[in-house]
Order: sequence, then C-alpha cells, then structure tokens
Amino acid sequence: MSSAAGPPPEDAGQSSAPPGTPPVKSQKQMTKAERREIQERQRAAKAEKAAQNQSKNPGKSSNKPAQTSKESAPAPRKVSKPAEAAPRGAQGAAGQSKDTKTGGEDKPAHTRGLRIFSHFGLPKPTSHKGEVHPAIVRLGLQFSEFKITGANARCIATLTSFKTVIQDYVTPPNNTLSRHLMTYLSPQISYLVNVRPMSVTMGNAIRQLKLDISGTDIDLPEQDAKDALCGKIDTYIRDRIIAADQVIEETAGNKIKDGDAILTYARSSVVEKVLLAAYADGKEFTVTVVDSRPMLEGKKLLKVLSSAGIQCTYLLLPAVGSVITEISMVLVGAHSLHSNGAVFSRAGTALVAMMAKQHSVPVVVCCETYKFSETVQLDSFARNELAPLELFKSFPRNNEEDSSSLGDRPNLQILNPLYDLTPPSSITAVVTEVGVIPPSSISSIPLALGRTIL
Amino acid sequence: MGILPEIQNVANQRIVEVLVSKLRRRQLVGSRQTAIETVLVLRQVVAKARFSNIEQLIQIIKAVGRRLVQAQPKGVYPSPVYSFPVHSIGLLNASAFVSLPYPEHTVGNTVRKVLHHVREEYHAVSRAGPSTQTQKSSFLISKFVSQGQPRKQTLAAPKSEARTTSLRENDPDDPDSFAKGLKPVLMEAIQDVLDELETVYDNVSKSARDHIHSDEIVLTIGHSKTVESFLKAAAHYRNYTVIVAESAPSFGGHEMARSLSSAGISTFLVPDSSIYALMSRVNKCILGAHAILANGGMFAITGSLLAVSAAQAHSTPVVVCAGQFKLTPLWNLYHEYGALDFADPSSVLGFEEGSLVDKVDVVNPYFDYVGPELINVYITNDGDHPPSSVYRLIKESYDDEDHEL
Repeated sequence: MSSAAGPPPEDAGQSSAPPGTPPVKSQKQMTKAERREIQERQRAAKAEKAAQNQSKNPGKSSNKPAQTSKESAPAPRKVSKPAEAAPRGAQGAAGQSKDTKTGGEDKPAHTRGLRIFSHFGLPKPTSHKGEVHPAIVRLGLQFSEFKITGANARCIATLTSFKTVIQDYVTPPNNTLSRHLMTYLSPQISYLVNVRPMSVTMGNAIRQLKLDISGTDIDLPEQDAKDALCGKIDTYIRDRIIAADQVIEETAGNKIKDGDAILTYARSSVVEKVLLAAYADGKEFTVTVVDSRPMLEGKKLLKVLSSAGIQCTYLLLPAVGSVITEISMVLVGAHSLHSNGAVFSRAGTALVAMMAKQHSVPVVVCCETYKFSETVQLDSFARNELAPLELFKSFPRNNEEDSSSLGDRPNLQILNPLYDLTPPSSITAVVTEVGVIPPSSISSIPLALGRTIL
Repeated sequence: MGILPEIQNVANQRIVEVLVSKLRRRQLVGSRQTAIETVLVLRQVVAKARFSNIEQLIQIIKAVGRRLVQAQPKGVYPSPVYSFPVHSIGLLNASAFVSLPYPEHTVGNTVRKVLHHVREEYHAVSRAGPSTQTQKSSFLISKFVSQGQPRKQTLAAPKSEARTTSLRENDPDDPDSFAKGLKPVLMEAIQDVLDELETVYDNVSKSARDHIHSDEIVLTIGHSKTVESFLKAAAHYRNYTVIVAESAPSFGGHEMARSLSSAGISTFLVPDSSIYALMSRVNKCILGAHAILANGGMFAITGSLLAVSAAQAHSTPVVVCAGQFKLTPLWNLYHEYGALDFADPSSVLGFEEGSLVDKVDVVNPYFDYVGPELINVYITNDGDHPPSSVYRLIKESYDDEDHEL
C-alpha cells in the first residue's frame, strides 16, 4: 500500500492480494534473518521479472529507493490524505506490495490500523503563515493547544477574530470589497482548518458571513461596509448563540423539577447555563457529572457548579452503570445535529445516552439551531477528530514513565477520538430556541426558522 | 479470631493466619494466584489434620474457609482517611465510601471445590458393594436437572478395592486409621484441584484459534490475564487487531496494551469514551470476569457494562474468558449494579483539586454487574458454555450444603 510507512511482508505469491492482508503465519515465527533472506530472494525474483515487463513495474522496482523516500515524505501526512492512499493502493497493488517490502513487520500494524482511522483529522503541520492575519494565528494556536474548546466557544472566538481581520482589511485598488474580501479570508480559514478541523458551528457561521459579504452594497464606502459586516457578525452571535441560549435555559429549566437527580456528561456551555439558571430560580436538584479522558472537561463544570452551591457527584465514565438507576434526567450538549436526528457530540455521550435509554431515563439534548447540519451522519467514523497525544497525558496517579513508554512501541497505536455519534433512538428530545423537538423532526428546523438554509 | 477450635493443630493455624494476613494486605494479586494459595493452605491443613470421621474433616475445612473469607470483609464502614460528607443517592446509602480491597470470591470457591472433591473421594472409597448400580438406564432429564451430571464413581472403584474394608469411622481403638486411610486419596484430589488451577490459562486458550479469525477487530477492557493469554494464543495462528479500552481510573488497559503489543499483536489503546464510537467496527467483544454468578451473570471490572451494552446495541457477540474457579454460587438479587465495593476516590478526584474535595461526592466502584442476557458465551478451562448452563456447572463443581460456608 502506498501509505508508505510500509506494507505487510507479503509473500511473492500474494501479489494480487490487496494491501494489508495478513502475512503467511509462519513468517511470524521465523527469525529476522530468515525473513530478510526470503525478502531478498523475492526481491531478486521480482527484479528479474520486472526487467522483462514493459509496464510500470520496472519503473517502480528500479526507482524503489527514490519512491520509498518520496513516499516517506507524505508519511506524516498519510493520516490526512486517505483518498490518495486508497486509489494508489488499488492501482499499484501488484507492484507496490513487492516494492515496499523494505518495511519491517511493525509497519503492517500501522498501515492496517491507520487505514481504518486514517480519515480522522490529525493536526497537520501549518504553513504559509505569511498571508495569515496575526489574530488568526493566535486563534490557531489557542485551538491547537485546546485552550478554546467547545462548539460555541470556538465559533464565537472565530467570529470575533474575523471582525478584527475585517477591520484591518484594506480593499486593493480595482477591486470591490464584496468580491475580494472572500478571497482574502480564504487562506485564513484554511489555516484554521489545518490546525483543527472545522466545527459545524464555525462552518455555518462562516457560510453566513460569506453570504453577508457577497450581499454588501457595492456603493458603500469601505469603512461603512466593514462596520456593517461587523454589525452583522455581532447580530449573528447575539441572535443565534446568546439569545438562543437564554431561551434554551428557560425551556430546559422548565423540565427540571425539585428533587431531580440530573446527569450530565463532560462540559457543555449550554448545559452549564441551564443548570445555573435553574438553580438561581430556586429549584432543588443534584447534579452528577460524568467525566472521561482524554479531556477531563467535567472537572471545570464541577468547579463552576459546586461554587454556585449545587450539590454534585463526580464520577468517571465506566462507573455510569452503577449510578444510572438513581438518575431522573440526562442533560447533554451537542457539537452538531444532523438531519436524521443523530447528535454528534463529545466522545462518550453515546454511551451515556444508551445506558440512560436502557434504564428509561429521558435524555435531553440542549442545542442551538445554528448547530444544525444538513448532512446525514451514520456512525462515528464518517467525520471525527483525533486528539493529539502530547496534550492528554493526564494520568492522575500512575507513573509518568509508564505512560510515556506507551508512545513508541511498534504495534501499539494510541487513539483518542474526540467525538461520537449518538443515534436518534437513544435521544428523547432536543431543546432548541424554537422549541422542544423529538429527534425525528430535526430536519424541519430550517423550516421552523423560516428559511431553506441556515 | 486467631484460634480456631476445630483446628487443634498449631502449625495449621499458623499457615491459615499467614494467608489471612496476606489477603488483608493485598499481597496476593490476581484471582488465580489467590486460588492457588488457598489450595496450598488447604492441602497442608488436610495433611496435618486429625479426624476420625468425615464430618470432622469437613468441619475443619469449612472453618478454615470461613476464616479466610472473613479475612476480606465485604461491606462498608467508616474509614478514617477519607471523610467525605455524604448525601445519599438512593440506594447508595452507605455512610462513607471505603478503600478496602474487594472480596476475592475465588477463596470461597476454592474451598467449596476442595470440599466437593473431598466428599466425592470419600463416597467413592466408602461405597463398598453398591458401586455397580450406575449402569441402570436411569438417565432421566429430571434427575439430571436436580442432581447434575452422573457422578464419576466407577472410576474410583479400582482404587478403592484395597481400602474399602479398612476404612472404619470413629474407631475407638485406632482413631487415626480412618484419617490415615483416607488421606492419600484426598491428597490426590487436592492435587487435581491444584493442577486444574495451574493450567487454567492454557486450557482457556486452547480454543482461541477457533474463536478469533483473520483480520478481526476485537475489543477488550482493562487487564485480565485470562484474556491476555487467550489473545496471545490466538496470535500464533491469526493476524488480527485488538482495541484495548484503558479503563479509568485503574488504567489496567495500559498494561494490557503494552503486553499485547510486545507479543506482536497490533493494538490500539483508546479511552473508554470511544467504545461506542468504535463498536460499529468491532467484530467481537472479549472480556474477563471477576466472578461468575449462579444465574449466569458476572461481576466484572467497571466499564464492562458499558462495553457489553454497546456491543448489544450493535449486535456484536460478547465472549467472556474465565477459569472455572471463578464460578460462585452467589446471586446478585437486590442490586442492579455490582457497586457494593468501592475503590479509592482519590484516583478519580484527587486532593489536588483542593476545595472540591469537601463539597463533592465521588463514586468509584470496583465492579459492574453484567446480566446473563448480555453475554453470549463463557470460555472456561473446561470448555465453552452459554450463560444459561452456568447453574449446571455450579451444581457439578460444588455441593449444595457448601454454598454457605
């Protein structure tokens, strides 16, 4: 397979097998020397055969060293370029699998594993900083270090930075703001996407921004146009996020009764607001915060809630089964909503929702309408993001040496998917600013807002 | 507490006390290790015991068993170190959560198993004439259900020829003759139990290659030695991938991942939060058990219930690997969850969190209870069994009167 890190040590006879098939069993038991011998013999045999052929095989065989070095360059990017990997692998299956036999047997693990999860975004090395506004660079840094997390927070931060960018923007001569501003913003946006894959909220907001930009009156003086745009951004934030949150606080707050035991997972800004508002209203309830690695965001929520005076219980995700029987309602937030009613949210939400549903506990998702996405997502693999390993080594009590030695073993990969998809069957209702909606009606949210797109 | 009247032998008492203190101090790690140590202690006790009829021997062994089981109290009582203010959460109404070791059910199980073998040997030896009755066609399903498998008495018949006449219970002239006659047989029986324990991992792994196929993706949680040896055995024949969920807060998954990857199996270490996300790609869920209960359910490490429920939601088969010494004639009637035993809360929310420690309850249970309907098969050293036949295994391995030691 082209994903160069190397292929399974294939036998000559299995040239037609797709890349990634298991090597012959006995290979594992041979010593390294024997395996090398076999590889050498096969390579020699292939070289002969290749010399006879006129197809691309000879080119590949002779350029093997060049090719492997070329392929090793994209190796760090292989996780982000699965599309190329697949067709390359398919075409060159015959030639490739013989060529890239230089890899040892630890490589197959990487290749096979990464094929499954290879489309998950990992942060890529950033480049072309020259064209990028410093505010955006700062934002990118904050994203990559996970200082700003959460769909709402990221969206608001992005829009605020864009306001700065717009104010600093100067239309070049012979250009109109409405046309050129978009091209000016594009590299900024791709810089942010490189740092961390775009969230649905950011995507929706930016789409709205583009619409506003292209709708700018050509006759307006530049400063007025810029001010108008900034005003529109502010309106967007105010209407779709802040005001929406207030409506949700009230609506969801009505669902909380005295004596309730509420369970929430990780940290959702909306749920935090709902709980604080309900408590300020004088309702008596207890909160159970469920938390999980890698991000351990629940601790922040715990601090906020307990300093407000709410009685809290804290536990880690595996222990949910033990407490779920005591819970009266589960309140979670979302990263995005999809047309089929599925909720894309922090990894672990699906487990909590599933357990709750099994014990007949209502699962209520608090989500603003601007998080709606028209795509239909079927499982957690369609789009997801892996957390970078260096940031999340927060093993509370274990030795640091243990955890660091895990990183550089062959055959061992550490994966930290950040999101997962909760199927609509596990959700009871979604509270948005346009009302409390069952998951099956989520696709009608745009209509409820009076527009065909969000 | 230290002096068991039934064991008049001082040496025996000392042996028992050594094991008791080891159990208390958590110096024994692992269910199998505990079981082996228990058998060794019982072997010494039986070797040195003096009894003139079978009842006395059984009382001695039961007393030892009771002592060992009591050495690891299961339950909650106030702990001086962690004093969290507790607000009751329904049934979890203990006064405070303690950091005590969880009870090793294997101690009790081993004692019961030894008792069962002792009784079996005794019956085989003392049955002089009527050992020929078993050839009648009395294999009725009703008898099977109430009595379990027909006992393997005929095998013991040749051994006992020489001894049937010499075994006299409660002989006033020679009180030790009974014991002397019976002991060699008992020693063999106990050795059988020990052999079975020592070969548990190998026997469980025998069927590994039939259960795991090429290019499968297997999910497991935490660190179970039985599952580890099972997966390593399968790795000799198949090439497959394992996803290990580190199970917070004990993080046993790290050790498991390290060990499996050193054995050449391609391993993925993931946090527990992604179990549902990855389950759609997983072909099988292979878990370990702490104890297998009489109804076919099991106690397993926290997080197992999540994994098993997620597997059920995706129709993924759930396989549990456990040795037969984990079969426990206990039920879990009153609690839906296994959370009667709690671990140290500071591994969840440590003291470095400062002010939170006072205001917040922390729950850190050791085990989950997984119901029998969620498990597809138990792979034991004695073969594969569905959860619905666990009751039969218990009937065959233990005697009814031993359920309460």
